[in-house]
Amino acid sequence: MTGLHALLAAVLAPGFLANGPVRTALIVGGGTGLVAAVVGVFTVMRGQSFAAHALGDVSSAGGSASYLLGVRPMLGFIGMAILAAAGMEWADIQDARERDLVTGVVLGAGMALTALFLYFDARSGSASGAAISILFGSMFTLPASIAVPALGAGAVAVVTIGALYRPLLVSSLSAELAAAQGTRVRLLGLAHALALALAVSLSAMTVGAILSPALLIGPAATALRLARRPGPAVALASLLGIAAVWGGILLAYDSYYWTPGHGWPVSFFIVFLIFLGYVAANMASGSRTAADVSRAEPHCSRCEQD
Amino acid sequence: MRPQHWRRCLISGLATLLAATAAGCSSRTATHDGVRAIGVENQYADVISQIAGPYAHVTAIEKSPSTDPHEYEASPAIAREIAGADLIVENGLGYDSWVDKIIAASPRPRRRVIEVRRVLGLPADTANPHLWYDPKTMPAVAKAVAAALAAIEPARRDYFIANERKLAASLAPWKRMLADFAQSHGRTPVAVTEPVANDMLEAAGCDILTPRGLQVAIMNGSDPSPQDVAAQQALLSGHRVKVLVYNRQVANPLTQSFLDLARKNGIPIVGVYEIMPTPGYDYQAWMRAETEALIRAVTLGVSTTTLESAGSRR
Repeated sequence: MTGLHALLAAVLAPGFLANGPVRTALIVGGGTGLVAAVVGVFTVMRGQSFAAHALGDVSSAGGSASYLLGVRPMLGFIGMAILAAAGMEWADIQDARERDLVTGVVLGAGMALTALFLYFDARSGSASGAAISILFGSMFTLPASIAVPALGAGAVAVVTIGALYRPLLVSSLSAELAAAQGTRVRLLGLAHALALALAVSLSAMTVGAILSPALLIGPAATALRLARRPGPAVALASLLGIAAVWGGILLAYDSYYWTPGHGWPVSFFIVFLIFLGYVAANMASGSRTAADVSRAEPHCSRCEQD
Repeated sequence: MRPQHWRRCLISGLATLLAATAAGCSSRTATHDGVRAIGVENQYADVISQIAGPYAHVTAIEKSPSTDPHEYEASPAIAREIAGADLIVENGLGYDSWVDKIIAASPRPRRRVIEVRRVLGLPADTANPHLWYDPKTMPAVAKAVAAALAAIEPARRDYFIANERKLAASLAPWKRMLADFAQSHGRTPVAVTEPVANDMLEAAGCDILTPRGLQVAIMNGSDPSPQDVAAQQALLSGHRVKVLVYNRQVANPLTQSFLDLARKNGIPIVGVYEIMPTPGYDYQAWMRAETEALIRAVTLGVSTTTLESAGSRR
């Protein structure tokens, strides 16, 4: 026990856990890491990484508008992300090239709206520094009161994914197979899109809209490299997501003591940890063939049993 | 440390382009009577007006007390005004660096540019750009403005010098308020959101306890460290400060959370401005009003969040 204490004391800078902004960041950020990872596994399997990225960018329009409307940024992020996610599902473009094209155009329009709203924010004088906070996150400025609504929104996303786990898995791997089994594929897609919108919004609120895909895709992609089955992949992705966020918060806190100025941005540390994890996982799984990894092969053997 | 803003960099490029266009059609301004002067911030415009009297047409560029001047963006009309001005007073220290680019893009042989930072002999890496809160600043600016006006209109030299002395003398009541307060309430502990009024607070003998890093992060809109945020929260919830002085023109969820925490703990708050609130104030009255608000907060526990409804008090 004393050994553990000594280890903790060595790693944790003085006052880490007693620090109010750190505690809020640990709770909201940890929850976000978990939710993003769980949803992210399905997003990666469905091949919707770019859509997730676009959702993050489009949600920033809602985040920047929230300052003008005088509501919480979280509400703005969620509102805009749900609108965009529902729109994407509704458009239901099957051709991958066409889908990428439309997603890219919508992404651009979302960022254009963000630019407009940030301009209005600067004019109205109620949102200094909004650009940095919306695009790149500012986790230590989250109010403590955000914890309950944020975890609530996260719970909705995780419960949605959990309730639809099996049909979602089947439809993620083969829409035709799911349809043959009598699954309502489009309704499933919509449910996934809503869970994705919530996860993206939480990520945008914590690490910023531009960086939100990293939190969503990174741990999931790393876990899918290492785990051979979806169940363990979800569990591993959750662990990795939480570890990256908490590790990033710890490093940002400690950087106060070893950087000139007053510490480096927490979003940088989190996303960089995720990146390092992905690179390490690739090196560890280097013995496997590329084809084995790029097609979601390991999971197919599983669903054929069903 | 300079209050740079990424968007400003984009805009200043555009502004330079616009100024170049504007300079091409400046013949319009050649026929006017009197001096065309610009105070980039309206407090400097006010000082020019007080010295030039009716003999100059004075324009202020940053004059809205409800937006963040650090996020200012120039328009084509303003680029044209700057191109045609005979006298420009700018703050310097990156606070209004976009002006320099427009000036450089539209050369004008007789134009005089006064950079307040240089007038005060401050180094270019001075951390706090809000120079006008220092009681020593405006007398020095007034002197430089009078000299520049006298060079442009030598016949009215005596008039400008007399006005400059009048302005310096009119600051005496404010300086007396600050000195008296410093003497009666030495080392009053205060918290701030930004270094806006720090020079005035120091002249009033206050001890600014907010971490420097937090002030700079809020001023520049960058990510604050959790240590600094927690330190500020502890100042307020631990009743270790007598007043929270906040920048009215820089509001975001973080500064709002400090205001809420101060209110919850019964700590009076005083809102200060980066740009002179108008109508109703000249520079002297503005500085006195903010000092009065500080004194009322410390001695009576009364908050003052706005000066704008004050009407026509002078």
